[in-house]
Amino acid sequence: MSAAAHALALHRLGKRYGAVAAVDDVSLGVERGEFLTLLGPSGSGKTTILMMIAGFTEPSSGAVRLDGRDITGLPPERRDFGMVFQGYALFPHLTVAENIAFPLRVRGLGRAAREAKVRGALDLVQLAGLAERRPAQLSGGQQQRVALARALVFDPNLLLLDEPLSALDKKLRAELQEELRALHRRIGRTFVNVTHDQEEALSLSDKVAILNHGRLIQIGQPAALYERPATRFVAGFLGTSNFLAGAVMDVAEGGFTLALGATRLVQEGAPPGARALLSLRPEKIALLAPGERATNEVAGHIAGWLYLGAGYALQVATADCGEVRVTLPAWRAPIAPATGLPVRLGWPADAAVVVAEDADAP
Amino acid sequence: MTGGYAPGRFVRLLAWATLLYLLLPITIILPVSLTDQRFLSLPAERLSLQHYASLIASPAWRGAIWQSFWIALASTALAVLAGTLCALGCWRLSRRSTEVVRALMLLPLIIPSIVYAIGLYRYFGRLDLLDRFLGVVLAHGVTGIPYVVITVSTALAAFDARLEQAARGMGASLSQTLRWVILPRIAPGILSGAIFAFIHSWDELVLVLFIASRQVFTLPRKIWDGINENLDPAMAAVAVLLIGLTLVLLLADLALRRARDG
Amino acid sequence: MRRDLGWWALLAPAFLLMTAFYLAPILQVLAISFTEPTPGLGNYERLLTNPAVQRVIGTTLRICLITTLISLALGYALAYVIALASPRARRWWLLGVLVPLWISVLVRAFAWVTLLRRQGLVNQGLQSLGAIEAPLALVWNETGIVIGMVHYMVPYAVLPILGAMREIDPRVLAAARGLGASRGTVFFRVFLPLSAPGLAAAAMLVFIVTLGFYITPAILGGGKTLMAAEWIKLQILDLVRWGLGAMLASVMVVTILVLLGIFSRVVNLRRLFGAGA
Repeated sequence: MSAAAHALALHRLGKRYGAVAAVDDVSLGVERGEFLTLLGPSGSGKTTILMMIAGFTEPSSGAVRLDGRDITGLPPERRDFGMVFQGYALFPHLTVAENIAFPLRVRGLGRAAREAKVRGALDLVQLAGLAERRPAQLSGGQQQRVALARALVFDPNLLLLDEPLSALDKKLRAELQEELRALHRRIGRTFVNVTHDQEEALSLSDKVAILNHGRLIQIGQPAALYERPATRFVAGFLGTSNFLAGAVMDVAEGGFTLALGATRLVQEGAPPGARALLSLRPEKIALLAPGERATNEVAGHIAGWLYLGAGYALQVATADCGEVRVTLPAWRAPIAPATGLPVRLGWPADAAVVVAEDADAP
Repeated sequence: MTGGYAPGRFVRLLAWATLLYLLLPITIILPVSLTDQRFLSLPAERLSLQHYASLIASPAWRGAIWQSFWIALASTALAVLAGTLCALGCWRLSRRSTEVVRALMLLPLIIPSIVYAIGLYRYFGRLDLLDRFLGVVLAHGVTGIPYVVITVSTALAAFDARLEQAARGMGASLSQTLRWVILPRIAPGILSGAIFAFIHSWDELVLVLFIASRQVFTLPRKIWDGINENLDPAMAAVAVLLIGLTLVLLLADLALRRARDG
Repeated sequence: MRRDLGWWALLAPAFLLMTAFYLAPILQVLAISFTEPTPGLGNYERLLTNPAVQRVIGTTLRICLITTLISLALGYALAYVIALASPRARRWWLLGVLVPLWISVLVRAFAWVTLLRRQGLVNQGLQSLGAIEAPLALVWNETGIVIGMVHYMVPYAVLPILGAMREIDPRVLAAARGLGASRGTVFFRVFLPLSAPGLAAAAMLVFIVTLGFYITPAILGGGKTLMAAEWIKLQILDLVRWGLGAMLASVMVVTILVLLGIFSRVVNLRRLFGAGA
């Protein structure tokens, strides 16, 4: 781990605008050198949290700590945080090199030192040939890299990214995701990223914090969040999910039975109470061949289907479980989907996860 | 624009007549100023520059032009400095109290100058600023502020506020952010405000009639006396010079806007 | 907020200048109207009792109303043609409207004197054409004042009206035609109502500005027709009746602010003055 990496902690952070809580009692920690993403829909408070970390917005309550030191009252220009703004905020009247030199210039660095550092930063983002261009002459992806170079050139304590890839088209976004990930590994600094794009969050981050209505819902590694969502919101926001709600029966060691009408489902884990809500990912459901058995079996017929290239998305109408979404690989699919076709769905006891209902928004 | 929806003949005629009415008096002055006669008239036999010559030869006219120029320059500097900073502050703070401040800055456009003039006459009397260069500069500077506030506010409305955040986030102080990021972006708006503040002071008469008499004698004041005492063609020559200067300044402003939009 | 202190400091120079050298003299005028020559409402009593004061106010209101009406009519025609012109033609029309706006009031008044006086170019021209025998009295009376003031105010009328017209969606007009409305019907039932806010803004702007006119009436009125501003100057500089002059000045300011206050409930003033855009 780089010695220049810093740890950040938010302690009971809150921001109120009049009666509205934009951010409500959020506490979380970012380890040295970690890549944390704040993920949530618009209005979830993620950008407000980033702005409070950067110092542009003053928290109504709580504290921001860098390596244990309280920096809540420090103005933004004295925090030494690099930031990539949404839309990049490149200075249109300055060239690429001048843009990147800006943070060095305000720190009073000499011309020679400035030029050397700018060259290094340009190399880091592979833009060496474009130093004299103006931002308006660059493509979206190039502008994004200039913004990145400008944010990193002064060896900041922390790199903050506000929806860094949202302005780019899908293909370029995927490419830059990989580059950003590689850059993070190479320089080993602490990154805090904000996005509403769940794929970006899963692929980039060491840790993802999921926010909704100003509250922190769940924080953890991407795979853990995807596989073990704590609430219905997390399960629905990260990927897609089927939700099955029923009455708990027959609690046994390590599992229980859930009743949905006449259907009985066997589920691993401890029941939360008299009723339980299950989240079941569409890709974990199998289509059973005639005679094939599974722990949980549900019969139905195909109500609708989509061809997605890599696979099929089926909507299966069932008597007790409502409409169940199932995805199948398209290559050597076990059936040729057709509306009205009867099918049997099956999954093991550990395929679904027990999730909580979300508290209502304040 | 309107796909076949065009104004009728009567309206079109009225519009042309109005345009003629607007432009006729300011264009007729040019041939009058070139008259070969000794009184206000169109040239009878030939064009003559004699009235321009007598204008330039006259120390009284030259003195008035110089005084007006220096007063306009100094009051423009005052208006630009105060107005730009004020527009910047209102833009960044942007809350109810700054709206009140901005409305206050626009008062000189709303309150008739005769009211301000009689107030100043009394007020400057006690401060010993009557008939003083500084007095006129203050009066013209203060009343020039609204022009600068308006043009700079308009320029700032088009300015991306994240650039300011970006600069602060990278460690720039307030003054560094102003000098290196904000001012270069709004410079055309400031210059445009300066042009209007300059024209305002250069043409201003009502205040000068009250707060200046002998020491400070501006060009509009000299023209005013000319109109009331003897209407001679030299006046037309002055008028042409004034119109020319205004046109040059307006064209400069137009070029600025082009550069900014393009 | 401590963090914003620097930004507040930027307001200080303009605020101090404006308070010390603009607001203070104007508030003093207000104070004088109540204190000189004797404290009380004596000066304001003259509004009800003094025929000379009433005559000045009557003259001022009459000339302002006439000026406003003519300026609106001419301004509307001009704005209408500009709004419907091609972008290229529109630029030239606008130039023709905006250039006079910035030409010195004094120069324009002088030009009108040159044109309109007894031996002026208009009378000479009409006489040499044989249209008239004796020269017309076009200046140094109310006619002259109105000609000069309308000339000043037409550009002010055009801008707000044009602003409102430019916001009218041309597809609405096309739709009206398509639904079977005649050109006249489209204008009176669709175009005119949609441009009405601009017309109202223009009326207010023109009326307020004309109330305080000094130079144009002073030169083109020839001292015979007194409007409020010149009368105030007369009271203060020539007759040294401060109280009376300050009273009429205060009445003028209050009238303007009240009109603006009423008006701001109807139309967005910020748009009129371009603040913040």
